[in-house]
Amino acid sequence: MKIFDDEHFRDGDEPETGRREFVAGIGMLMAGAMGVSKAAATESGVTPLPAPAESMTTVLITGANRGLGLEFARQYAERGCRIIATCRNPDDATDLNAIAAGNPNVHVEKLDVLEHSAIDGLAAKYANMPIDILLNNAGIGGGIQNQIFGRLEYEVFYDVIAVNAVGPIKMCEAFRDHVKASALKKMITVSSSQGSIASVSMPMLYWYRSSKSAVNMMMTNLALQVARRGIIVGLVTPGATATDFIDPRFRKAIPNIREPEVAAADMIRNIDRFTLENTGSFFNYDGEIIPW
Amino acid sequence: MRSSFYSVAVRPQLVAIAAGLLALSLTGAAFSAAHGGAALMKQFPDPADPASFAADYVPTVLITGSNRGIGFEFARQYAERGWNVIATARKPEQADALKALAAEHPNITIEQLDVTDFDRVDALAKQYVDTPIDLLLHNAGIGGGGDNQFFLDMQWDVWRQVLEVNTLAPMKISEAFYPHVIASRDKKIVTVSSSEGSITKAMQPRLYFYRSSKAALNMAMKNLALQLKRKGVSVAMVNPGPTDTDFMAGLPKKMLRPTPDAVSDMMRNIDGLTVETTGSFYQYDGTIIPW
Repeated sequence: MKIFDDEHFRDGDEPETGRREFVAGIGMLMAGAMGVSKAAATESGVTPLPAPAESMTTVLITGANRGLGLEFARQYAERGCRIIATCRNPDDATDLNAIAAGNPNVHVEKLDVLEHSAIDGLAAKYANMPIDILLNNAGIGGGIQNQIFGRLEYEVFYDVIAVNAVGPIKMCEAFRDHVKASALKKMITVSSSQGSIASVSMPMLYWYRSSKSAVNMMMTNLALQVARRGIIVGLVTPGATATDFIDPRFRKAIPNIREPEVAAADMIRNIDRFTLENTGSFFNYDGEIIPW
Repeated sequence: MRSSFYSVAVRPQLVAIAAGLLALSLTGAAFSAAHGGAALMKQFPDPADPASFAADYVPTVLITGSNRGIGFEFARQYAERGWNVIATARKPEQADALKALAAEHPNITIEQLDVTDFDRVDALAKQYVDTPIDLLLHNAGIGGGGDNQFFLDMQWDVWRQVLEVNTLAPMKISEAFYPHVIASRDKKIVTVSSSEGSITKAMQPRLYFYRSSKAALNMAMKNLALQLKRKGVSVAMVNPGPTDTDFMAGLPKKMLRPTPDAVSDMMRNIDGLTVETTGSFYQYDGTIIPW
């Protein structure tokens, strides 16, 4: 098997060096040589949103019909962003459609992230639209009962990994040029603290957790790959949130479970913090770095 | 498999008490037989008590992918140590080196196994139902081809194959052979992972699928370690380092370590594994690789 075949590293042929030095050097490199937005290297490390109107920030959100995705759409729309809100069944997305009805900058699009041709189709439809924040929010849990050692359901693993790990990286492939053409240049994925191998302390959710570890690895690779294009890659977590994702029967058992509007606001704050200096980080909702 | 999983997944003391009670009752005996408990009751040593095993107890290791490279060397070194070796390979008829090795070492048994053939996994587990397996050694793995996993040109069908071999198969085989492991003295489930699966150590973008499959595997095995610790089972990942095998054919020889060294290093780490250190990810030099 070929592993070290540098000529094929089309997008990121960086010399092998310590990651810290490598990442630290990127900011200056970008601001100078690549001519990207100066905003990406402000002293505070916080990237301000550009003014609306013609330089309107555009956010593409997958799984925007309910839960965290819906909150992302609502809150970014309130900020004055243009929203491309995708979901599998727009006809049933009552809440999302209500937001779109009152805001001409919110565009609802049908998309199942399992259908790669549909992803490519959507990317083609918006070919000339810079996308500042590609927000991979869609995810599935796979069902607790399908992931118990002794009766693991193997096909469920593929479903979970296809949505949670393949979907995001495929979206990043398809929309790479849109993000690259934008001002903020961010590719963000909603991961989970359940994907932290270092942190898990009770055995459960084998497939869900593995899918999140897998997507964390994918996005770490991607961060290294696209940094020299000025693209920032980030992972955020909502914390335990009272959405359809967690069965109502279990919600009561989770102390400090949070409402989706709070969780989304925290993640948006963390997404604002991403720069080329901290690209590839895994931000907990409270702003702390989660260990892998 | 499900019934035998539950029958052994209780405290060993309860198994002993239950065995006594069940022997008094025909109904109980029928229950026991129906739930795969008969094999457990026949065993003289108490799997929960290593001291109850005879001094001349011969441990058994099952190794996947033992026809070449690291798997072959594992088979050779465990056989020379005097262990019983169940050496599996996808195509034993083509595994000439392994067959020659088995001819020299009567303690090596070759079995056909494609780790992605889950029916065959179950059949093999059934075939060895009375054999305690001290070390379940998940060695079989694939890289997926470096040029199938470039960003902007991902070959998604390859991704599924890589996951199937590297991530799912070790979990399936662990499920199928869990009763064999729990009945053994040493009770170890070890997977050959890779430092490429360390998110912390990733410094160049490459091998998206391979790396993700190993990160996913590490998570699944970490879960398994947490799950089985109180059963006395130790679970770990070991990393061979860059090794001079077909797997690393693209690398210059001077960057690679000899296979016997890589394997003896991993065996040393496996020897040192206990339930206290379960869930660890061992570098070949014995240090812990960060996730």
